[in-house]
Amino acid sequence: MRIFRKRIPEYLITLFAIITLNFFIPRIMPGDPFTFVSSEENSVSTVYTDEEVARLKAYYGLDKPLPEQYLNYLGNTLRGDFGYSIYFNDTVLNLVGGRIVYTLPIAISSLLLSCLLGCLIGCMSAYKRSGIFDRVSYALITIFSQIPSFLIGVFFLFFLAGKLGWFPLSGAMKAFATYESGFEKLRDILYHAFLPVLTLTLAHIGEFYLLSRNSMISVLSKDYIVTARAKGLLKKRVLYVHALKNAMLPIITRLCMSLGTIFGGAVLIENVFNYPGLGTLMRQAITYRDYTLIQGIFLFFAFTVLVMNMIADIIYGKLDPRVEL
Amino acid sequence: MKNFLLFYKSSSISGKISMLMIALVFFVAVFGTAFSRHSAFVPSDSAFVPPNTEHLLGTDDLGIDLWAQICEGAKLSLTIGIFSALLSGIAGSFIGIICGYYGGFFDKFVMRVSDILIAIPSLPLMIVMGVFFGAGIQNIIFVLAVFSWTGPARIARSKVISLKTEKHVLVAESYGAGIFYLTFRHFLPEIFPVVMVSFIRLVNRGIVSEASLSFLGLGDPTAKSWGLILNHAISFKGIYFTDFWKWWLVSPFAAITLTVLAISFIARDAEKFLDVKL
Amino acid sequence: MRNLGKKILLPILALSMLLSLSACGSKTGDTGDQESKSPVESSQANNDREEPLVITLSGGDCGYPSPYLHYSRGPGSFKMRLVFDSLLEHGEEGLIPWLAEDYNISEDGLTYTFKIREGVKWHDGEEMSPEDVLFSFEYQTANPPVGGISTALGKENNIITDMTIDGNNFIVTLSQKSAAMLNNLGSVRIIPKHIWENVENPKEFTDEVCGIGCGPYMITEYNKEQGTYKFEAFKDYWGQNQEVDVIQFVPVSDGILAFDSGEIDLTGITPDVYEKYAHSDEYKIINNPGFWGYKMGFNLEKAPALQDINVRKAIAYAINRTDLIDKVARGAAILPGEGYIPQQSVWYNKNVKAYEFDPEKAKDLLDGKTYDFKLTISSSNDEVRMAELIKLNLADVGINITVESVDSKTRDSMYKNGEYQLILNGYGGWGGDPELLLSQYAYGAIPGYSNEQINKLCDEQLLETDQAKRMKIVYELQNVIADEVPQLPLYNTTGMSVYRPAKYDGWTYMFDHHETTHPKISYLAEK
Repeated sequence: MRIFRKRIPEYLITLFAIITLNFFIPRIMPGDPFTFVSSEENSVSTVYTDEEVARLKAYYGLDKPLPEQYLNYLGNTLRGDFGYSIYFNDTVLNLVGGRIVYTLPIAISSLLLSCLLGCLIGCMSAYKRSGIFDRVSYALITIFSQIPSFLIGVFFLFFLAGKLGWFPLSGAMKAFATYESGFEKLRDILYHAFLPVLTLTLAHIGEFYLLSRNSMISVLSKDYIVTARAKGLLKKRVLYVHALKNAMLPIITRLCMSLGTIFGGAVLIENVFNYPGLGTLMRQAITYRDYTLIQGIFLFFAFTVLVMNMIADIIYGKLDPRVEL
Repeated sequence: MKNFLLFYKSSSISGKISMLMIALVFFVAVFGTAFSRHSAFVPSDSAFVPPNTEHLLGTDDLGIDLWAQICEGAKLSLTIGIFSALLSGIAGSFIGIICGYYGGFFDKFVMRVSDILIAIPSLPLMIVMGVFFGAGIQNIIFVLAVFSWTGPARIARSKVISLKTEKHVLVAESYGAGIFYLTFRHFLPEIFPVVMVSFIRLVNRGIVSEASLSFLGLGDPTAKSWGLILNHAISFKGIYFTDFWKWWLVSPFAAITLTVLAISFIARDAEKFLDVKL
Repeated sequence: MRNLGKKILLPILALSMLLSLSACGSKTGDTGDQESKSPVESSQANNDREEPLVITLSGGDCGYPSPYLHYSRGPGSFKMRLVFDSLLEHGEEGLIPWLAEDYNISEDGLTYTFKIREGVKWHDGEEMSPEDVLFSFEYQTANPPVGGISTALGKENNIITDMTIDGNNFIVTLSQKSAAMLNNLGSVRIIPKHIWENVENPKEFTDEVCGIGCGPYMITEYNKEQGTYKFEAFKDYWGQNQEVDVIQFVPVSDGILAFDSGEIDLTGITPDVYEKYAHSDEYKIINNPGFWGYKMGFNLEKAPALQDINVRKAIAYAINRTDLIDKVARGAAILPGEGYIPQQSVWYNKNVKAYEFDPEKAKDLLDGKTYDFKLTISSSNDEVRMAELIKLNLADVGINITVESVDSKTRDSMYKNGEYQLILNGYGGWGGDPELLLSQYAYGAIPGYSNEQINKLCDEQLLETDQAKRMKIVYELQNVIADEVPQLPLYNTTGMSVYRPAKYDGWTYMFDHHETTHPKISYLAEK
């Protein structure tokens, strides 16, 4: 706890720096939220006159000097007012909230899945080290965790969804579907989320696999276990629990830290599968230079990662750090 | 060289194959454009010619030879991977050494900055920086380095902190050795193996990040990178209904996957050989 | 402490898993559940046909269909127009009376009188009155909607001196003649006074009633995250029967796949898959008019060499635009009119000069000199492909191009600020009123370029209210533009759309727009 208390100011400084960075990042990008002269193919876009641009700038307070804008932004953020999106005509809070319900379940469930599967397969493959299962799973998992996740995503999208038609090409649920039961709805949602979750799970399974496999190997090499095993006294299940207990600390820490990276991965994966999460929204926000929305999304990402790091810190401080790694 | 032979001998089969693979990619990157009969920029045939003896991998929608583009892409990927890793590896190690040796405010400051870089998801910020700096190769290398130096820096820092209290370092210090002497005489040899492994991993990261950025359409679109060929192919309307994907989509896909896998196998063997754990 | 920690952690893990699953289930579920019953109810209410006709189209979020909430890019404004009517509507041939059942322009061209239709109902059942019309004009001039208010109505060149109501007539008085005024006045959306009267900040007025208009369709379902819309026919609509009872927009990632599986009823196709649908009675293919296009902009200030008209002409001759159409647009485009007005526009001058691909002529014009230019493009696939080909074409005649690619928004702002030498830009609206030539060519619209004759003709055509006379001026203007090449149109895209006529065969186009799913007349009985 002491270590943690010492680190609180550090976290606050980091958070402050991130908030500041968030303000300047969109503003140093070339262009502004109102200038459009081109449009997507077969589409039109409104071209504003200089007078209208000036009026819009004044409306969003973007005509004020930067320091004043910055102070306003700082004050609003601290009050919990994240502003009003320029392009999407809604509050940033609504927009981000509307997308989190898609991104978070995908991120969390793929993280937990990769953790559970990784640990299970890791233990199993260490149990008979250098056996066929061990070799195959080791090779497959290292391969999958090395291939960039968006490539795996493209692969699934193209073959499983595009060519074979087993899975939907995009979206989070069937449009205008009338569900007869909650179960059916859940099934539809899972059906749509399956490929994104699978892709992200494959991308992260390797970390947990290696952690648990190493832990299991070191447990198995202990003298008393070796003897007990030789006598056929130990059940597989007992061993698994033992090994996992040992690896608990690094696994939990890894879970917390991974949530940050998995958001980054989700940005790409959502764009591949056209999934209506924060990642697709962020890409649009950047394209349209929606200052307030960019600020809001970045802040959300950074804040989550910081909190997760903090939790990892607490766990490290609280649990005995001498646990065998 | 001797070390390299030792390393080669000690590697696993997959490691050896990987090394051959990477040697091949290098070869293709350096000499490939000289060997390929066609330009990677000028259309040389009609569009969508399937692979044949004239066009090993067929042609794309403009009729440009794909094999030539893959060679060009190899050059680009390796350049970006190696230079971004070099830049971040060298800069990171020195920053880490200074932090570890002097500690104090600079150390605190650098550690905060790296906290921030870790907290902000790198891909989104890379998108923003890509937009800001424009999409030249140097810029991509620079942006990648900005996000990757923290790894080597942290490794070097913790190594130096523990080295600093060791006897031979303390003795050298008492004879008046400055940080330059200590760095080159004592610190660098110690941290080199660790940084080396992290360097190999950073090469991979550079290649993957560039491919991801290009795939999102945010790389340098005039350079023929693998990610960009993939992007062109996948966003081609009607790709699902034609046979074009068999060569247009598969070849960049295979190129990225094989290269990245090979490098990661080498990194794994290097880890064992140099006896370091990251 | 240590054991406690371990004991707590496992259940937490399990709990968070459960939570994430249930969050997945319940929250995302809510949005789809809200009005899942409404299609059934409405179909029962609509008794004209046995089966209600539901047309599903590919969509995506483009904002709530209200004048202040739809997004400034994409088809949001057309979705909004299904709900909100205006005084005049764009028909297949030209403007047609709509909420104004008749209109009249005085001899001197300064007074416009619109006779407002009676018996028009708002979607909430209230009666629409001329009061609403006057209010709409006043309110939207004070608070410009997302689509902006036409420049002619805007403040800086406000030529409107008075707006009043006289019985059923809405009368607008001008201080000077303007040929584009009728269209501009006719396009203003009419919004209900009783809802907007007290709204001070329309941009943040997100209450559902902001989607109440008097158009043929009501918005009954909208999901921002999914990008889905459902429009249902308004029973008490004053005018023509709605042929389509329900229009749905759903997001699809591959239109052709979705069309094949029957998910959507119309999709755009490329010539690569044309064969798939061409020889079957089940399908019908229509060509969009080429009112969307790419052009190359010249900046005569940043690249003074371009001030030489021969260099501009040489570029026009050197670029193989037919090749661009074949390779980049995959054949789904036509050559542009050299006088900017596209070939399929009613204003197009057939006799305008053409620059056919002729590298030799280009070399002659350049007279052996070589030039270096920087070409700015956005990083979209088509533009990158185009730039590659243009670079090769121009290199053949001795013009070296360095391609600079930036993201689309950066390109837009570089274009606006004149920070380029050559630039590519693709956008829609080429088929609009020739008023647009003024903003494209006259009075410094092209950096460093000024031509007295073009300025004069642009002004003249805008003041000429006689259609035939105006046409003559516009023809003349196109000749001058084609001769001067102040910027170079590259091609106009003519996308193809395929649909199943057995299901619905009423697709049509507005006279000045390139998309068949956009105009409301596509969904109504009489065109």
